[in-house]
Amino acid sequence: MPYYQTWEEFSRAAEKLYLTDPMKVRVVLKYRHCDGNLCIKVTDNAVCLQYKTDQAQDVKKIEKLHGKLMRLMVSKETHSGSMDTD
Amino acid sequence: MVLLENDSFLTELTRLFQKCRSSGSVVITLKKYDGRTKPTPRKGNPDTFEPSDNKCLIRASEGKKKISTVVNTKEVIKFQMAYSNLLRAHMDGLKKKDKKSKSKKTKAT
Repeated sequence: MPYYQTWEEFSRAAEKLYLTDPMKVRVVLKYRHCDGNLCIKVTDNAVCLQYKTDQAQDVKKIEKLHGKLMRLMVSKETHSGSMDTD
Repeated sequence: MVLLENDSFLTELTRLFQKCRSSGSVVITLKKYDGRTKPTPRKGNPDTFEPSDNKCLIRASEGKKKISTVVNTKEVIKFQMAYSNLLRAHMDGLKKKDKKSKSKKTKAT
């Protein structure tokens, strides 16, 4: 279960994994104030992507990704069967 | 596991964060939800359930206490704003990076 070293790579891999199977993927966020770190995990129970940080600047990035995935989940996806105008 | 309304969930989540400031972790899970309230029927039995596509499930826990809420498309904008503010306000125990400070520049007298 590798921890990604860069946010960019993690973010791209996470979105890609979600789009392969939205119903299977879950996002887990673990915050420890006493240790001052934050860990995010995206998994479909086969592949597991993780990112860990203790930097305040990453909080915003993580929270943005979280929001993005949330919005993807509630949007009615009509992809894969693109809108054919007949 | 307590299922709450979006607003109550946010209130309780604030409490979870406050409780865990001195020790412990807050775990938040986010997953797409299709609205099932009954288990999937066995083979041979008809699955009379219509999955909906516009919901997600959010769970939070501090080890012992567990809370959850369902967010759908109509509520997501409002919820996401409040939720982002909450996260940013509470996840403030992390290190601030200021390597840029030219600390070598002490006032030379």
